[in-house]
Amino acid sequence: MNCDDIRPLIAGYLDGELTPDERARVEEHVGSCPDCARELREQQALKEELDTMSFREPTDAELDRYWQSVYNRLERGVGWLMFTIGAAVVACYGAFILVEETVLDPSVALIFKIGIVALGLGTVVLFVSILRERLAVRRSDRYSSGVKR
Amino acid sequence: VIDEVPEQADGAQPEAEVMRRCRDGDRDAFGQIVKRYAGRAIGAALLLLGDHDEAQDASQEAFVRAWRNIRKFDPSRRFFPWYGTILRNICISRLRRRSGKRTVELLDGASGTPPEAGPVLLAERNERKDRIWRAIRQLSETQREVIVMNHFQEMSYREMAEALDIPLGTVMSRLHNARAALRKRLANEAHEL
Repeated sequence: MNCDDIRPLIAGYLDGELTPDERARVEEHVGSCPDCARELREQQALKEELDTMSFREPTDAELDRYWQSVYNRLERGVGWLMFTIGAAVVACYGAFILVEETVLDPSVALIFKIGIVALGLGTVVLFVSILRERLAVRRSDRYSSGVKR
Repeated sequence: VIDEVPEQADGAQPEAEVMRRCRDGDRDAFGQIVKRYAGRAIGAALLLLGDHDEAQDASQEAFVRAWRNIRKFDPSRRFFPWYGTILRNICISRLRRRSGKRTVELLDGASGTPPEAGPVLLAERNERKDRIWRAIRQLSETQREVIVMNHFQEMSYREMAEALDIPLGTVMSRLHNARAALRKRLANEAHEL
């Protein structure tokens, strides 16, 4: 194996992610290749430095505020869901009643009835179109997914 | 491959037990998990996003999303790598929205000026560590995310491959290239001093 085959394996070697066979191949190669041996040493030194780095832990007060904020969002999520369902039901029912009463009322001008029906149909078409587009994007966009497994 | 759930040395409940309670809908248990990982979550998001307020917001959004999907979580595995996948997706979406470009262009490092380092959220700080932090922030998004996943989110190669939807070999070569780029940046900076 040449250097180009071995170098990509160096990260896996340092992280203990190689098979025994791959490990043996890396060790055999670096034993006879000074350039790859130097690469291995330098990457190991950097990895050791990175391994000593860790994030600052927030104070208890910061953690309490952080959790309270997450908790509020969890509660708000349920609130928004109920609000959205309720608003959709009320809006749909109200629109249905409005259209029905307007269309059946003989005193309302025909042009206004046509306008109301067109408005209702247009809203439905737009809603379905946007919904379909959103679903298509969600299926094809791997970054929109929150959980993959 | 590191897959075992860590034991708690500080007398706290083992993570698997807390996660089982979370799956049963126990919000207090989830609060324990949030507090246990908040620091690491904010730090990882900060390295990816560069802005502290946005990092805090993204990490909280990721916890909310994790809670909503908690039933999909396998309690025999570790929480933080699973959460890290959610957090990474949220950060990438925010970066994409921020740039207004296609994700592929952004991830290929085609952006113009190097990102600002932002505040440094390290437990222990010295000149060398601050320099490494800045150098990580200056890597391309593709390189930065593998460094963050591997070193700060404790993800195994298998977990990274699943999160990034790429083969294991590609994870290895990306990580190798990222470390090489990081080393080069540090060497250049040292040379300039």
